[in-house]
Amino acid sequence: MKEIFRNIWKVSRREIGRMLLRPLYLFASIGVMALCTFFFLSIMKRGAPQRMPVAVVDKDQSSISRRLCHETNATQSVQIALITPNFADARLAMQRGEVFGILEIPEGFYADIVSFKQPTLHFYVNNAYTVGANTAYKQLLTMCNLTSGAFQREVLRKKGLPDHLIMERIQPIAISAHLIANPWGNYAIYLVSTILPGILALIVLMLTIFAIGFELKMKTSNEWLEVAGGNYTVAMIGKLIPYTIIYIVLGISCNVILFRFLHFPVMGSSGRMMLAIVMLVFAMESMAITIIGALPTLRDAISIGALYGMLGFSLSGFTYPVMNMLSVFKAWTWLIPLRHYYKIYVNEALMNGPIENTIIPMLSLAGFFLFTLLVNRRLHDAMIYNNYPLK
Amino acid sequence: MITRYLNNQWIKVKETWWVFVNELRRVFRDPGVVVIFFVATLAYPILYNFIYWKDNVENVPVAVVDMSASQESRAFLHKWSASPDIKITHYCTSMAEAEQLMRAQKIHGIIYFPSDFAQCLNTGMKSAHISLYCDMSSFLYMKAVYLSCNRVMLEDMSRIQVDRYQAMGMDKKFSWMLVQAAPYTETALFCESGGYASFLIPAVLMLILHQTLFFGICMLAGTAREENNELYLLPGRRRRSSVLRIALGRSAAYFLIYYALGALVLLGVPRLFGLPHIGDPVLVLKLLVPYLLAVIYFSMSVSVFTRNRESGMVVLISSSLIFLFIAGVSWPQQMLPDAWRYLSYFFPYTWGVHGFLHINSMGATLETTAKEYIALWILAGGYFLLTCLHLFIGGYLHDKKINAEYLRERRRNLKLQTI
Repeated sequence: MKEIFRNIWKVSRREIGRMLLRPLYLFASIGVMALCTFFFLSIMKRGAPQRMPVAVVDKDQSSISRRLCHETNATQSVQIALITPNFADARLAMQRGEVFGILEIPEGFYADIVSFKQPTLHFYVNNAYTVGANTAYKQLLTMCNLTSGAFQREVLRKKGLPDHLIMERIQPIAISAHLIANPWGNYAIYLVSTILPGILALIVLMLTIFAIGFELKMKTSNEWLEVAGGNYTVAMIGKLIPYTIIYIVLGISCNVILFRFLHFPVMGSSGRMMLAIVMLVFAMESMAITIIGALPTLRDAISIGALYGMLGFSLSGFTYPVMNMLSVFKAWTWLIPLRHYYKIYVNEALMNGPIENTIIPMLSLAGFFLFTLLVNRRLHDAMIYNNYPLK
Repeated sequence: MITRYLNNQWIKVKETWWVFVNELRRVFRDPGVVVIFFVATLAYPILYNFIYWKDNVENVPVAVVDMSASQESRAFLHKWSASPDIKITHYCTSMAEAEQLMRAQKIHGIIYFPSDFAQCLNTGMKSAHISLYCDMSSFLYMKAVYLSCNRVMLEDMSRIQVDRYQAMGMDKKFSWMLVQAAPYTETALFCESGGYASFLIPAVLMLILHQTLFFGICMLAGTAREENNELYLLPGRRRRSSVLRIALGRSAAYFLIYYALGALVLLGVPRLFGLPHIGDPVLVLKLLVPYLLAVIYFSMSVSVFTRNRESGMVVLISSSLIFLFIAGVSWPQQMLPDAWRYLSYFFPYTWGVHGFLHINSMGATLETTAKEYIALWILAGGYFLLTCLHLFIGGYLHDKKINAEYLRERRRNLKLQTI
């Protein structure tokens, strides 16, 4: 027993030496993770999209149309980047990507509205840029509804109604929307809390494949096994320990930054979130061993790993819900560790749901370990005989 | 004199041709690069289309808590349930029950009618309130639930307003005029469906071209480095003077392959899968020229730093997400901090993706998207010079090494002779 621990320690020591010899390992793990954390948090630091540019086609050029412009511009979510009497100009600006929405005020708007001729407002959004378009859409829709409302208010005032009665006539129904756990509609909370663990998962996958595959490629795997006393399990554990420590530290510090320093919502247990990211690291390492074991040629394993890893972001369902995917992809999502992590995140951080919704994904993450058993023999042989085309 | 000059030039052309053919041979003989260049470039777009097959989110399950239990609330729900966006799956008797369902992720939205809902509507003394609870685990749930409910609310509101004005003694026509004092139309000018696939996939297509080319070139450079095949990087006797021939010959090989692939992907995939494609195909092909050149020289400049065949991919794998976000597609360009925005101008993807979206999804002409088009040419030129500089430095160092060896050899020979 003591022998085994000593061998594990020896393999780990050898691995630390290898790690320090090539800048790639530390750069690709700590460097990339730090860069991505900084990048994603800084680009979304303002949370929800604000001051999205829109154009106003003011064919009327009256005091009312100008007031409509001012009021649109005074909102938080949009700003007027262009006022023009010509629709073609605004359309061109939209095609250039300079504005996300256009509000068109028809000619004679003022004259028509005061003479009850119901002039029609038009608004247009550019769905090719969905985030900007949604923001502009909501605001322009509100502005158009408010225009009729403001007119009604004026008429009713003239008729002598008191203000409190006017309000309920203009707005007989109101929706109060409650956005659970993210009342600001903050994109950082929505995206970053899954993207960063996803990037970590990708790093773990690629680096683990690389660390094992590089031994095979450089035919140093026999020496590696020798240090481990010929024991495959010892060799694996010893090799992965130093990396695992780095990954776990990275994962936990990432979650500490998000949930402790930036106060992203955690309705449930933050301890279980920490456990989830540790399990994500283990699951990704298992997947990496499975891939390099199935394809003990570094170049193939790296390519397949990259293809598999990148799909994880789409298939985890944090942007496009899995519910809406075709059933073959619904089945595929079970093979994506990030999907299980995301489920735990939703349950623990956002919903504080029943504990089984955390336990099942947690067990699924642990289950990825079973895949490695399938390739043990093959990988062990590859390490001993170097019997695969190693280029 | 002139014939000698022409002859020299002709030899240079032939050498460039040799580099070009040799590079093509290297690409096709390397199964890893073939997989990245051909299989990934063609398989990924198809895979992504199948993942986002349904485009819009439909039938989001929601629960109803109707404390008012009135005709009005039922009429509202009846209209709402007709919307394709949502599906009412649970009717709960209390908020606590609905909350349990939401926590268990069985539903993604709750609509709550307070007990005085009908009373408020009928007496007209207060606004009636509806509470809507949205699951924020995916913004697409929220969008589906909130927007569809809002639409029903706006429609209902006009009807109620008309009723009230009639009750005040106005006639029906006048009430409508008052309520719809300024009616409006809403139009999605481009990408009418407003779906996720029709927005994201065109951007992803450009990214796939970028990343496969990028990783493929890094892989080729890394392999050359591993094999210590300096002849490959720099043929000819004096390496540093052959920079142009190498840069042109190699990039021509990549360009040839990717122009065909790019045309196939950018023109074929949107048509095959019914994504937006209102642009002129010729313009897409025109934009593809500077885009590919810029990406090729960008990748060749970066590939200098890859020591191994695989290391480029290991380190740069997460760059895909950074490119996607810094380009201002998933996240509006206007929201990027200035420093990141300026940095993004140096990436060919930033200009390429906007140019492609403008032309393909928004039907822009080349004049309209001139900014992107010109920027791509500038980047292509800039990165070409950088590539040449890198090759020159490499060649210079190589020449120096060779010369030093040669001198050492000669000195040794001289010494031998003198002895």
